[in-house]
Order: sequence, then C-alpha cells, then structure tokens
Amino acid sequence: MAGPLAPTRTPETTEEERGDLDRPWVTIVWNDPVNLMTYVTFVLQELFGYDEPTATTLMLQVHHEGKAIVSSGPRERMEHDTSRLHAYGLWASFQRDS
Amino acid sequence: MRPFRAVRGGGVVARLDQAEAHIVALLLDQLEQLLEADADDVGGDPVLVRLLPDGHRGDPELAADYRELTEASLRSGKADDLATVRATLPDGGGEVRLDADQAAAWLRSTNDLRLALGTRLDISEDTEPPEEITGDEDQQLAVYYWLTALQGSLVDALVAGRAARS
Repeated sequence: MAGPLAPTRTPETTEEERGDLDRPWVTIVWNDPVNLMTYVTFVLQELFGYDEPTATTLMLQVHHEGKAIVSSGPRERMEHDTSRLHAYGLWASFQRDS
Repeated sequence: MRPFRAVRGGGVVARLDQAEAHIVALLLDQLEQLLEADADDVGGDPVLVRLLPDGHRGDPELAADYRELTEASLRSGKADDLATVRATLPDGGGEVRLDADQAAAWLRSTNDLRLALGTRLDISEDTEPPEEITGDEDQQLAVYYWLTALQGSLVDALVAGRAARS
C-alpha cells in the first residue's frame, strides 16, 4: 500500500501519543450466571465497535476465565466505559493495568 | 408468547398473551419501586447491589468517587428504560412492536428484570429450569426462564436485523 514518505502528524496523532503516557487503566467485565452469552457479545459490539469474532472471543474469555479486559486507556475513560457497561447490566469495573 | 423477530427498518416484533404481559407489568412495578426507594442506601438490597455495582474493587475511595459520578444517571437510565417497556407493553396481551430505540430499552430492562429475579433466586451456573411447579419458588424460576427466552429472542432478532442491514 502506497503512502507518504514521512508520517503525517495530525491533532489526533499527538493526542493519542499523549494519551499513551497516561494509559495504565483498564475496564474489566466479570462473569456472572445471569447474563446471556449472546447478550454479552452484542453489548461488547454495541459499546466498543468490536467485530463479532473479537466480541465473541472476549465474551468466551469472560465465560471461561471469569473475566476479560474489554478496554484500556485513561482512568476517566475507563470510568465512563464501566458506567456504559453497567447501564447494560454487565458486571464491570475499572482498575490499574497489572 | 411469540418470540421477537426482526422486521424491516431495524425494528422487532413479538406477541405476549395476557398472563405474560401481566407478569412483565408486575415485575416492572417491583423493580421500579426498588429503584425509587433506598436512594441513600445501596448497601442494603442485594438486587440494588447487583444493578448498581461498585465501579472499582479494592479502593473504597475510587469506588465512592465512581458511585458519586454515575449512580444517579444509572438509576434514571434504568427507570427510563422500564418506563419505555411499560409504555409499549400491550395491556391485555397482544403484539409488541418496537422501533430500534424501544428495542434497546427492552433489551436492557429485560436484563435488569432477570438480574433482579436471578439475585433473589440465587441463580448459579448450575441452576436448571424446574421440571414441575410445586411451589412459589418453582413458579418464579419458571418466570425467570421464560424471561430468558424472551430476552434471548430479542438479542437474536437484533443481531439478525443488524446482519440484514450490513
């Protein structure tokens, strides 16, 4: 694929790099016996834009391993992601990346 | 019940009989009352604990910050969803025809109703549908599984609808 010789710096590029310095937080979805597997997959696609295979993989991780990281980034965004998941009844929490 | 199926345009449709519509209305009432009461004390009722979970484990201060930031709008969002379901529930039973937004409200609310029932009934991964109804708890368990089928059909209908549009 052809492209420019030097990477183009856009406001988004620099903002993302700044964000990288400040991204030791993650959002976790925990397993629970009520939420349907199809529902969890649907919600992960809906909220995070994951394609179906990715969302399914994450859901299966929740199901088999008890939890999965579904997003990462600055703390404020993880709090927001957690609250969006809570609005859909998923059992979620945010924490520092380990 | 005729389970949810997708219709053209992003909506869904189902059919509930009178008894089923009545049960949903009752459950909506119960959950609404719970969400409106106990405004200052989530730590009490286990259903509220599940519906309004801690956002952070381990650090009570981070958890308290999160709760202060989000609980009020989480509660009112759930209340709005319940109100949408009530508004689109046919009184004596009948067709339930939902647009995309109403379907999303039903999706979240049926999940909340199942979480509430599931918490009360102490549902686990090993719980199974009752083979015969011998009492109150079997009755509630049967309702839980019926709601599960209803919500499941709604998820499937929304997935099918989305696939049809892509």
